[in-house]
Amino acid sequence: MSCHAEDESVRVLDEGDGVELLVYLVTAARTQVDEAAEYAPMRLLTAAGRLAEMVEPNASPGLRPLLRDIRQGFSETAVQAGDPSRYVERLDALCRRVAEYLVCSLGLDRSP
Amino acid sequence: MNDAVLCAVRTRRVARALTDAPVEHDQLRTVLDSARYAPHAGNRRLHRYVVVTRPPLLRAVRMVSPGMIQRPMAAIVVCIDWAQVHSYGFAAESPGPYIDVGTAAAIMLLTAHSIGLGAGPVTSFSRTALATILKLPAGVRPELIICLGHAATVQPPAMRRQGGPRWDELIQWERD
Repeated sequence: MSCHAEDESVRVLDEGDGVELLVYLVTAARTQVDEAAEYAPMRLLTAAGRLAEMVEPNASPGLRPLLRDIRQGFSETAVQAGDPSRYVERLDALCRRVAEYLVCSLGLDRSP
Repeated sequence: MNDAVLCAVRTRRVARALTDAPVEHDQLRTVLDSARYAPHAGNRRLHRYVVVTRPPLLRAVRMVSPGMIQRPMAAIVVCIDWAQVHSYGFAAESPGPYIDVGTAAAIMLLTAHSIGLGAGPVTSFSRTALATILKLPAGVRPELIICLGHAATVQPPAMRRQGGPRWDELIQWERD
């Protein structure tokens, strides 16, 4: 994986998109009280996918592959019962992917 | 006639991806009108139907509806008028009004399919937020949204589960 250090902050989200995501998260917290527990990770992944979609047009080239991986990592209709043996595995793979991005972009693997 | 109905029943699918082609007013009226023919207990007319077509309003509806994957070109919000429900002496926990939401939704989904529209039901939304956005009168509670549009060629996969019962296992004939 190539490493792209984040040298400076890039503005990637406009206010309208930010509000859309904010409202989604707040209302999802409420709907989840009444819904099956298996929907909880699905809603969070949907939020992550929408954020990735909003951010991608203005994201730096180094971030775009990660955003694509997040969007393609899970379908918006995927639940653990669909593939019980691999669901957590795939979530862990996505977590590993974001962690590797952080190591690269924050220069954590460089000598102090 | 019967073959056509059966064919429509068997070919209808939930449309979770819609194009930006508009829904014509006549199509919307046809779908709405079909709800009149849905079986409603006692023909009591306890439900209200709110039509949403304005893009900013549709966007707001989608924002407060985490279960709305599609971006609809129109939406029909099926509501229960609880003041009317109580006036008939229904208990607050009575399932009747909810069952009638389901029958109306089923008929509207089938009608949408029969006139070439893509449609999908959504129940995962904040009732409080949606009622506020739509300026619903007190006591009128939104219970289900029918999303309407034209189905995109590529659809998200249907929800799949492993290890569930087979269809035949869900059916009991007589007492056996």
